[in-house]
Amino acid sequence: GSKHATTPADNYYLARRRTLQVVVSSLLTEAGFESAEKAAVETLTEMLQSYISEIGRSAKAYCEHTARTQPTLSDIVVTLVEMGFNVETLPAYAKRSQRMVITAPPVTNQPVTPKALTAGQNKPHPSHIPGHFPEFPDPHTYIKTPTYREPVSDYQVLREKAASQRRDVERALTRFMAKTGETQSLFKDDVSTFPLIAARPFTVPYLTALLPSELEMQQMEETDSSEQDDQPDTENLPLHMSTDDSGPEKENASVLQQNTSLSGSRNGEDNVIDNPYLRPVKKPKIRRKK
Amino acid sequence: MNRKKGDKGFESPRPYKLTHQVVCINNINFQRKSVVGYVELTIFPTVANLNRIKLNSKQCRIYRVRVNDLEAAFIYNDPTLEVCHHESKQRNLNYFSNAYAAAVSAVDPDAGNGELCIKVPSELWKHVDELKVLKVHINFSLDQPKGGLHFVVPNMEGSMAERGAHVFSCGYQNSTRFWFPCVDSYSELCTWKLEYTVDAAMVAVSNGDLVETVYTHDMRKKTFHYMLTIPTAASNISLAIGPFEILVDPYMHEVTHFCLPQLLPLLKHTTSYLHEVFEFYEEILTCRYPYSCFKTVFIDEAYVEVAAYASMSIFSTNLLHSAMIIDETPLTRRCLAQALAQQFFGCFISRMSWSDEWVLKGISGYIYGLWMKKTFGVNEYRHWIKQELDQIVAYELKTGGVLLHPIFGGGKEKDNPASHLHFSIKHPHTLSWEYYTMFQCKAHLVMRLIENRISMEFMLQVFNKLLSLASTASSQKFQSHMWSQMLVSTSGFLKSISNVSGKDIQPLIKQWVDQSGVVKFYGSFAFNRKRNVLELEIKQDYTSPGTQKYVGPLKVTVQELDGSFNHTLQIEENSLKHDIPCHSKSRRNKKKKIPLMNGEEVDMDLSAMDADSPLLWIRIDPDMSVLRKVEFEQSDFMWQYQLRYERDVVAQEEAILALEKFPTPASRLALTDILEQEQCFYRVRMMACFCLAKIANSMVSTWTGPPAMKSLFTRMFCCKTCPNIVKTNNFMNFQSYFLQKTMPVAMALLRDVHNLCPKEVLMFILDLIKYNDNRKNKFSDNYYRAELIDALANSVTPAVSVNNEVRTLDNLNPDVRLILEEITRFLNMEKLLPSYRHTITVSCLKAIRVLQKNGHVPSDPSLFKSYAEYGHFIDVRIAALEAVVDYTKVDRSYEELQWLLTMVQNDPVPYIRHKILDMLTKNPPFTKNMDSPLCNEALVDQLWKLMNSGTSHDWRLRCGAVDLYFTLFGLSRPSCLPLPELGLVLNLKEKKAVLNPTIIPESVANNQEPVNSTNNHGQLVGFQNTEDDQLIKETASSISGHQQGVKRKADMPLGSPLEPGQILEKNEDSKVKLKIRFSNSQEEEEIDMDTVHDSQAFIYHHLNMLERPSTPGKEQSSGEVNMHPVSAAPLSVFSKESNSSKHSDHHHHHHHEHKKKKKKHKHKHKHKHKHDSKEKEKDPFAFSNSPASARSIRSPSLSD
Repeated sequence: GSKHATTPADNYYLARRRTLQVVVSSLLTEAGFESAEKAAVETLTEMLQSYISEIGRSAKAYCEHTARTQPTLSDIVVTLVEMGFNVETLPAYAKRSQRMVITAPPVTNQPVTPKALTAGQNKPHPSHIPGHFPEFPDPHTYIKTPTYREPVSDYQVLREKAASQRRDVERALTRFMAKTGETQSLFKDDVSTFPLIAARPFTVPYLTALLPSELEMQQMEETDSSEQDDQPDTENLPLHMSTDDSGPEKENASVLQQNTSLSGSRNGEDNVIDNPYLRPVKKPKIRRKK
Repeated sequence: MNRKKGDKGFESPRPYKLTHQVVCINNINFQRKSVVGYVELTIFPTVANLNRIKLNSKQCRIYRVRVNDLEAAFIYNDPTLEVCHHESKQRNLNYFSNAYAAAVSAVDPDAGNGELCIKVPSELWKHVDELKVLKVHINFSLDQPKGGLHFVVPNMEGSMAERGAHVFSCGYQNSTRFWFPCVDSYSELCTWKLEYTVDAAMVAVSNGDLVETVYTHDMRKKTFHYMLTIPTAASNISLAIGPFEILVDPYMHEVTHFCLPQLLPLLKHTTSYLHEVFEFYEEILTCRYPYSCFKTVFIDEAYVEVAAYASMSIFSTNLLHSAMIIDETPLTRRCLAQALAQQFFGCFISRMSWSDEWVLKGISGYIYGLWMKKTFGVNEYRHWIKQELDQIVAYELKTGGVLLHPIFGGGKEKDNPASHLHFSIKHPHTLSWEYYTMFQCKAHLVMRLIENRISMEFMLQVFNKLLSLASTASSQKFQSHMWSQMLVSTSGFLKSISNVSGKDIQPLIKQWVDQSGVVKFYGSFAFNRKRNVLELEIKQDYTSPGTQKYVGPLKVTVQELDGSFNHTLQIEENSLKHDIPCHSKSRRNKKKKIPLMNGEEVDMDLSAMDADSPLLWIRIDPDMSVLRKVEFEQSDFMWQYQLRYERDVVAQEEAILALEKFPTPASRLALTDILEQEQCFYRVRMMACFCLAKIANSMVSTWTGPPAMKSLFTRMFCCKTCPNIVKTNNFMNFQSYFLQKTMPVAMALLRDVHNLCPKEVLMFILDLIKYNDNRKNKFSDNYYRAELIDALANSVTPAVSVNNEVRTLDNLNPDVRLILEEITRFLNMEKLLPSYRHTITVSCLKAIRVLQKNGHVPSDPSLFKSYAEYGHFIDVRIAALEAVVDYTKVDRSYEELQWLLTMVQNDPVPYIRHKILDMLTKNPPFTKNMDSPLCNEALVDQLWKLMNSGTSHDWRLRCGAVDLYFTLFGLSRPSCLPLPELGLVLNLKEKKAVLNPTIIPESVANNQEPVNSTNNHGQLVGFQNTEDDQLIKETASSISGHQQGVKRKADMPLGSPLEPGQILEKNEDSKVKLKIRFSNSQEEEEIDMDTVHDSQAFIYHHLNMLERPSTPGKEQSSGEVNMHPVSAAPLSVFSKESNSSKHSDHHHHHHHEHKKKKKKHKHKHKHKHKHDSKEKEKDPFAFSNSPASARSIRSPSLSD
């Protein structure tokens, strides 16, 4: 069996071929030839190679046929017999006197398979894991590598950072807004040092002025959930009965909803709020009473 | 005026009684801002020969009047549209104020007058004689109303409901006549049926119970039907229509809240507290809320923050707030409580006459005060009382007095109770807004004085009695004549008090109600060691304007070593000195606790006090039971003891104020200790901050240690580990929140020896801004940040300027650069993340103005002008306008003044218009004694026009214009005007010629005024009533010279207060006639209008004297009128009725005895035209204030 690694195939092929050539040449010399044409040697080499290859192939087939992976001597014998070779002659042939010994082809330095990146030692299996299990992968594939530095725990620095970060963001943002939009200036000669985003009137000024911004809303939710327990006053009394959440357009719809809930209890005054503004709008009568 | 018959009843000034009124508005057009509707008044004649019905109506275009389905003729005449007439060269305020008061009287419903005079059709005379019911049906419309009804229509895409368009009624005092014809008096009660047809997406909120809502046939609109069965005055009727979000109060289902779209979460939070107010009032008054329902409506562009009407209140939408807002919460709650107090007294209980207003304002203000005490605590209450007291005292000393209960004699009486004022106090509509505010303040303070006298228990019993009487009366049918029980009068109220309490409070009433002025005490003392007596000297100043003499008991509290002792001194005519025996001997070594007034015993370090005296401190009138100002002298250590150990917040505040004058280390220590004391009332601590800053500045050369308050602030609010960094915000403790806000503002006032803000302080404040972190806070920090900007502004000192160089960036002070950097960033961030009510923008604008004013930044109003535009939030606009006003003053800019005045005329928001005038008055570009390039004839004319005719749609605005005119020019003729050609005045009554009062040199006039106000009470007065016997003639001779002025001195006020139409100018007649002939044809229309105005003043007399039946054969009077050249354009008096001629007879038959007067008028007309034609071209500011409809306005002088 040949266990040839992945050297460049040509090199290997050439080395083998050269060895075979040497064999053929010595056999020819043994047979008494003094010289041979290159083409003839090549042909003989080719034939020898084919013959040996056939032995190998056939031996492998016999071996596999008997459900083995390693060919045995008998496999070879059977092969040779099959190929019409008289095996009996072989020992005598091997012991012939004029046999020429050929040096083994130079061992080309076994090409080293470049190993996959390894970092550190593979961990050996712990005792409870049977040895047949695959080995641990390379450590880097599962070991977490902490890359942070020692966190800054100094309060002062943190505050400092947060403050300047926020300030920088705000400055950059407002400057950007100022650059991209209309501005007003406090100095006639300089419009860029203290750019003020131009005042723009709103169509409904009270909305932006009264409604908390999204940011604030978010904050409020956060702080509410965290500090709910120590509320100082009654301000946040739950309003169980906000009766109408919808905008005016939906008012009728919601009144209708109210009605459906009303009709369920059919004038049951118990838990239904009787407020004239929640009552349904009446259909026009033919004649309104005065 | 109102005539009262005894105490019991109320006699109506009208010859009929109104019992029921229907108001039906069947179309509201938001696009055109118009309203169409009708009213129907059910009236019962009370006299047999009733032939005219006078009603109030302004702005309304009246299409048709029917009485019991018969067409009725009517006249519409409103003399208040143009108070003085064009031809008048008079420009002095005295003249105007009298004319204005006369004009208001002429339509005053409390005098039985009105703008609209309806003639009862002759077919009904018999009916009337049987005193049978009349139904007066009036169809009217309102187009682009300038007052009374305010439309808010945002300019954007979408339907009106989507745009949040809304409309609401508004006004100052009785202003209902601006939006529908009515008897616009607080004393004429009736039941109401109110109907409003509005877009289906809208809600109409009005008074009384919503009976039903019905769709119109096309289903696109709905009609809201309201019934108000409790008799209510028209002035308490209101309306708000808009796409409101509806919130039924979760605690009281009969209470409904309304707000504009998207604000519902805020509404929920804001009103979540209201039920507690209800409970409180119902409990103390032991009386249920009188109406069956209550509605609160929050609207934009409000006229006032709070307006109370029968069973509903209209609030400014800007009172809404979320749970994150601290500062607005108490303010809004106060507004809600105020509105609710007025539901009981003001809406349910109304008043008989204007002079009884103080009772209503007093009671509602008083019970509101009780609510304050309960809600915010005694400290807050006492602080508030002190604040109100200081305000009223300051105002009265400045202006000369506020009279709660003005009594006007029969008319001939020469006693004008308010001669020191530049306006008449006879009518609410002539009153300066500031005066009215102070009036309300004084009213509730006086109620508190009454409480002091008769006890709160009795007080509440009296209120309960008034309410129960009214309650019983309100359920009665009209015929029982019980309704007048729902009207409160001064005499009724006092009677009630004496019945309930059995006490005589007459002296108190006489002192504070029937008389204006406050008391000014000066106190000092000496301790007589031998006698162990405190010799207290209390002086009074009762000669200065606004003061009065106090005689009666006065409480003095003396804190001695052995305890606190009250002494009641009797203040008498001539006794100044009072000996008060002391209880304790002076001894200092005994270690003993010192008992305080409240029973507490404390250790004191007595080393500071005078070894010989046992006195720790002395307080005069500690309970504020006199409306007074006290200036008391005691040594600094006494003030310090008072500050440290007296538990009354008022005493502490007084001590702080006094300590300003004692910049010593001891004072510093006392103030610092107070600042640190957490049990101390937060307002006292806030006040101590500012005092400390002042003291530190006075002690600047000897001050040791870090700048005042810095280490204190660091200790309280900064991190323990890094003292230069403030903690992340946590405003859970409101007291420390307020302190945290205030301290930097006060610190920024510190100055070093160079009178600059120490660098350390500035950096400190900048650090506060830098490290401000609100991420973990439950509350918004917008107010805090705004105050930090205020602090930055406070730190600014005047720029050192080398020969007035131009301000540029290059020579900008580095400190200012830092400040500017912050302001820029804040202001820009506001555009991205706006703060609640834009408090930060407001502070930034103020700070920029400060920088401009101090010469760091070029003075320029353009930034402010852009922020002042319509469309910015109102607080921002006002801050910007304030800056423009200030710029106008400092830079004497005519352009900006004009810009402001234009805004006064044109701005869509009434409050802004009012506020500009108010700010100009408070920070005037010049005053009457000043030489200013701004003071010129054009400005005089412009302002004159503004108050004369340009502001007739808004009483408050007109009075604001009057205030401004007074501030700029004073009472007499503005000094910048050229002398009139006519120098001599003939006083026919006294048969002597004097210099025309209008041209008295300003200097003389100025000397004159104080004298008048103190001594000449009787003199100045009543000239508006002497129309018949006084005639002033201007003659052509121009006698100049100062000796005349001097001679004229005593008579000086005589000339000015003329009734319109009393002046006879003979000299120009011929010219005038020519002119008229010339212009007659082209300017017919114009002349027509003006003539209407011209004749208004005397129409009033005509109307008053209309009588029935007409006597034939007196047509000559109309003939006389026909001499008028313009009457060639005939217009019938009444609508084209067959009986119109008959009616006009009524108008003209009565004047035999008044012929003389008529003649005068005739001349007057002629003059007028001349001036018209002259003025037309040169005057760009002519207010073409035509009385609403051409059809309804007819002047008798033009008829026939």
